[in-house]
Amino acid sequence: MSDIAGGLTGTMLRVNLTEGEVKRVPTPSDRFERFLGARGVGASMLFDELEPHTDPLGPRNKLIFLTGPLVGTMAPGANKVTVSFRSPLSETYSFSLCGGHLAPELKFAGFDGMVVEGRSDQPVYLWIDNGTATLRDAAHLWGKLTHDTEDAIREELGDPEIRVASIGPAGEKRVRYASIQADYHREFGRGGAGAVMGSKHLKAVAVRGTGSVEVADPAALAQIAEQVYAELAEHPKARLRRRFGTPEMVEATNQFGYWATRNFTTGHFDEADRLTGPELKQKVYIGDNSCYACPVACGKVSPVTRGPFAGQAIEGPEFETIGLLGANCGVSDPEAIIAATAICDAYGFDTMSAGASISLAMEAFERGILGPEDTGGVDLRFGNGEALIAITRQIAERTGLGDVLAEGSKRAAERFGVPDLAMQVKGQELATYEPRGVVGMGLSYAISPKGGHHMIAPTMGLETAGDPARRLIPDGKAKMVRDTQLIMTIVDSLALCASMRFVLGLESMLGLYRAVTGIAIEEQEALLMAERVDNLERLFNLREGLARKDDTLPRRLLKEAMPSGASQGNTVPLDQMLDEYYGLMGWDSSGVPTAERMQELGLQKEWEAAQKARGR
Amino acid sequence: MRHKVLVVYPHKCTGCRICEQWCAQTHHGEMNPAKARLAVHRIHHRQINVPVACSQCIQAPCMEICPAHCIGRDEGTFGLILDAEECIGCRMCVDRCVRGSIKMDADAEIPLLCDLCGGDPQCVKHCPEGAIQYVPFDQADRGFREHHALRLAGEQGGGQ
Repeated sequence: MSDIAGGLTGTMLRVNLTEGEVKRVPTPSDRFERFLGARGVGASMLFDELEPHTDPLGPRNKLIFLTGPLVGTMAPGANKVTVSFRSPLSETYSFSLCGGHLAPELKFAGFDGMVVEGRSDQPVYLWIDNGTATLRDAAHLWGKLTHDTEDAIREELGDPEIRVASIGPAGEKRVRYASIQADYHREFGRGGAGAVMGSKHLKAVAVRGTGSVEVADPAALAQIAEQVYAELAEHPKARLRRRFGTPEMVEATNQFGYWATRNFTTGHFDEADRLTGPELKQKVYIGDNSCYACPVACGKVSPVTRGPFAGQAIEGPEFETIGLLGANCGVSDPEAIIAATAICDAYGFDTMSAGASISLAMEAFERGILGPEDTGGVDLRFGNGEALIAITRQIAERTGLGDVLAEGSKRAAERFGVPDLAMQVKGQELATYEPRGVVGMGLSYAISPKGGHHMIAPTMGLETAGDPARRLIPDGKAKMVRDTQLIMTIVDSLALCASMRFVLGLESMLGLYRAVTGIAIEEQEALLMAERVDNLERLFNLREGLARKDDTLPRRLLKEAMPSGASQGNTVPLDQMLDEYYGLMGWDSSGVPTAERMQELGLQKEWEAAQKARGR
Repeated sequence: MRHKVLVVYPHKCTGCRICEQWCAQTHHGEMNPAKARLAVHRIHHRQINVPVACSQCIQAPCMEICPAHCIGRDEGTFGLILDAEECIGCRMCVDRCVRGSIKMDADAEIPLLCDLCGGDPQCVKHCPEGAIQYVPFDQADRGFREHHALRLAGEQGGGQ
């Protein structure tokens, strides 16, 4: 490393599955200097290494796993590993993050990340063991559920402490939103990284690491860590998370009328009382789980009482899961939601895209577009928890209607002849915030480089703070989205959990960075790096041929007034916010970054490549 | 007052491993949980986390079995002290520990023994959940009763 005195191991892995070759390669320190880490470095490598129009499920797509300097240190909540890839769901640039204990284990094993490329003829898994890595036969694991895969690998390697990330049958069968699961119930959830892994015949990655992560100034780091623990212990929102998990958000989201309900036909769920944090705490949760180095412990353990995994327990259900498998399917029975979640985790696919694909089918069923002959006799009406479980299982196994829904809501809705009913942007399903009730989130979804997603710029808290009526109007939202987006890019690139933002401002984050790496970055410089990342992600998509027309929302949210709840009567005034946002980003009215802005960000080469691919 | 001992409550542990971090940092100046003198063992299929730590046995099997007689204890805290010069790296102490809490330092080739940080155990100090506590020996049995009693009575539902 040139100037970076701590944090990084200096080594990555390059795994070529076609050749069956695993190489140790130097960590590209220059990229860490320009793009900070994890998400940012991943975007930069993906842009350079993928040809335009790479088939997402072909051997030329890559899975670029990256951590950052803070991971494995005492930095609170620095437990994420990102994977960057071209998504088979959205066919855009994508990345996904996984918490738990996988990321630090990779660092302790001596690696900052790995690039997985090519395609193996036979199923294999990667065994990373303290500085070495080998590919092993996985024929006997192919077809196994994610949990069983983890257990089988720990058993055959003879070490119960090994961390495993794996795909399940959904990834093998290329469900377009298949996940990569780790530690049973943590995952790279969104965008279909599991399907990419399945297409490469890579079943799992197992890691054992017992080494150290070097830190430039351990005393300074320890001091900041203690301060963060103390602040989190007192912070009201962090305390709510500790007690109730992410479902602490149910009440406010529903009360303000932006909880996506019954396939986004409204923003208020009448039966939300059964799904609030306190209700789940009292009736469902049996324990708490934490990711590495995090004192919040927002993970909740819930028993599975129904469906194929009855008798087991899941970590969750998370708020987004409750939203999309629950409210958005009209299902208020927590046992049904948990049973469906258990299927998603065991087979390895995203609860959010699954929920929004099922809600589409439910609306189509209620409108008579689908009938019992299409659903295998399942009475697929909103609110039917048993139907939810049955169809989730069909998706998992790609049988019947599930085979269509496994393609995602956009493709399924086209097949049903009702493309407007798919609640997606760029092919990826929206999160549970109904943007007619919180319009800045509409802009967030529209500009997200990975398709509909809530964590690119989660503005809902800011939009309802102070005067909650402001959530319904476009004024100031473009700036709010841009500011939030820049901070989130820094959070993701430092591989921090987004929950750390309760107490960690930009200054504190950079304090952690300085203590670990020995490098002082000014706030303005960090924001510029974040902007560089965001623009590079944009350029990737422009190179693929995307344009302003793709920065949009489902027709329902733009044209039809919210029919009920506290946000009744509202629509999303997207064009106005989009114009303003492009302006703030230094992009022209068609959403293309200007040459001047690219020069300021040092992205001329990438810009030219994107322009050339677009025939400009 | 009697000497104090470490008491772990698995039902309170969330598995964040902050204890491991502070232990390793305090003793080795390293960000490396493998060097910690305690571990949080995760039992994946049951979604539970169990802190595994030294319990300061009165008649400590690790001391008694040590063929090199290199394990002693601090008279004040009762914490274990290793004479690293004399240690032969036989791992008998690892085998005999009734809690399974002794790990080997792979670099130094000696066991990692809990010295209670000289009476201010950093794991206890930093555990956000109170899942590991430092209490007088004659009170060390008291904290379990309610949890187990509630469980036996079937009243524990709804998390802790």
